[in-house]
Amino acid sequence: MTTMKALCAALALAAGALTIAACAQMKALPSLPESHPEALAVGQQVDCSECHEDQQKGTLKNINAFSHSRAFVKNHRFYAATDARLCETCHKVSFCADCHTNQVEMKPSVKWGNRPDREMPHRGDYLTMHKIEGKVDPASCYRCHGRGNNERCVACHK
Amino acid sequence: MKRTLCRVFSAVSLLGLPALAGAAETSVDSTTILRIEQRDNGSQKDTFLPATEFLSLDATRLADGNLSFHFYGWGRVDLIDKSFNDDRAAGSLTYGYLKYRFKQANADIRLGRQFIHDGINNEQVDGVSAHSDLPYGFGISAFGGANVHTARIFGENSDGKGDGIAGGRINYRLGGMLELGASGVYESKAPTLQQHTSGNHRLIGGDVWFSPHKVLEVMGHTTYNTETSHVAEHSYLINIKPVQHLVLTGEFNEQNDRSYQYSWAMFSGTALHATPNGPLVDAGDTSRNYGGRASYQIAKLVEISGDYKHYKRVAGNANRYGGDLKMGFFDNMLRAGGSYHYLDAGPGFAITPNPSGSYHEMRAWGMFDSKSFTGAVDFIDYLFKERVFNEKQAWEVLGSLGYHLTPQLFLSGDVSYGRNPDFSEETRGLVRLTYNTTFSTAGGKK
Repeated sequence: MTTMKALCAALALAAGALTIAACAQMKALPSLPESHPEALAVGQQVDCSECHEDQQKGTLKNINAFSHSRAFVKNHRFYAATDARLCETCHKVSFCADCHTNQVEMKPSVKWGNRPDREMPHRGDYLTMHKIEGKVDPASCYRCHGRGNNERCVACHK
Repeated sequence: MKRTLCRVFSAVSLLGLPALAGAAETSVDSTTILRIEQRDNGSQKDTFLPATEFLSLDATRLADGNLSFHFYGWGRVDLIDKSFNDDRAAGSLTYGYLKYRFKQANADIRLGRQFIHDGINNEQVDGVSAHSDLPYGFGISAFGGANVHTARIFGENSDGKGDGIAGGRINYRLGGMLELGASGVYESKAPTLQQHTSGNHRLIGGDVWFSPHKVLEVMGHTTYNTETSHVAEHSYLINIKPVQHLVLTGEFNEQNDRSYQYSWAMFSGTALHATPNGPLVDAGDTSRNYGGRASYQIAKLVEISGDYKHYKRVAGNANRYGGDLKMGFFDNMLRAGGSYHYLDAGPGFAITPNPSGSYHEMRAWGMFDSKSFTGAVDFIDYLFKERVFNEKQAWEVLGSLGYHLTPQLFLSGDVSYGRNPDFSEETRGLVRLTYNTTFSTAGGKK
């Protein structure tokens, strides 16, 4: 029992020392800028490699990986899940909320009908199409409507 | 209790409002939309005139310069027939939170209604969250508070979600080459439902990002449902960039239907099968899809891509393939695009009683955007292999015109017309007034 107490005390002491050392080093860890220093084009898929070719510092991922190619836009969920703070340097949170929201009635493609270049989901008659797509890939429905926006679902699924 | 908690946290987020008076930088984005819609389903013609206001506000550099306030919400009023549900007026606070951003370690604390996108976690909470990088490549984040509830499920007194929720993520980064993350979420006990099946939302999972060289990137996550003691999902992506402007993508997703949909109250029951004795049991059904995409940027504003995906479910197999093209001209003032996809799906995916769920999807669009005027045309057509409710196709064409009254104030109007299996005719008109104070701010967020 005495040995266990001594071990616990030693571990606590080590953890405390590590915490103090870590806190001291925290001040040396850089932060991303609050916003992108240069104006970025609106309505254009940004190519980060134009300015950030082969730039990689510390634990920051290669910026080229975030160039907004068609592949990136289609699969941006993977990047947003681990690098939301990098997204926030260029995008307002409301940019995400144009599609990813909760309790909204209007389809994003209706709200942004004047911007057909944006990849808004559910264009056209999705009322019919969801009866097929929901069976083909229900996980794609769940990602947005499972625990989030179910306003339109409950309107008919009674 | 849950409503009280939600209101308290939402009210706390509004405490930032008085501080706005002295805000160093404040931006307001307002979009007011008046829709005029007429739907004819053959036996009844309805006219709707709902007015909707979307409002967002970002006030940064408050107090000592590191505090900010962010708000987004909407409200709707019906001026003629009820457009959506039994309420003539509705609205929602999407998010409203105070953020304190530290100067080191990407650390921040957020208080109020907010979205959590972190590792395997995708939640909306009224509460608090915090994040910080740690020495030696580590990082940590955590959140907790009251769940933001969605619309009540028909015949129930709730949406099936528990009231309280907490979670977090720890991660490790090795240079700019590797990131490993472990995250989890724990929700309080889900309410008992009368007509639906729902379970507690409790998951743990891991995520990975690996890029040994800039030409290769592998990323994804696996989630484990601690309530069903089963893996809920694998979702992984690989990007290969053999030459500049060419991206080859491979994707693999697999879900155990019961474990993945366990807390999706509206549909979790669909992953259960009836037994001869009566009780519903987990059938162990799995949904899997995999595929690839090749994207090539021909010129700075011209990109073409082709894609293929195979779906495998208990109901059968399906394949989707096609491609799209996106172009920009005159410094992107003129934009255009088009796409074609074909879904080859059997009777298991069809709209009952059709023998096929297959359809062609064709879309063509173009838009013009100068500093004064905007214009857009968008046409989309779904052509069914077998008629749906005696209709061969569902199509819609939309036209839009806009004018910048000032650099910040933009007035636009859309008109759309379509025919589909649900409505013999669907006509929509829309007037949109947008006020955006950050429209041309250098270095500002978009």
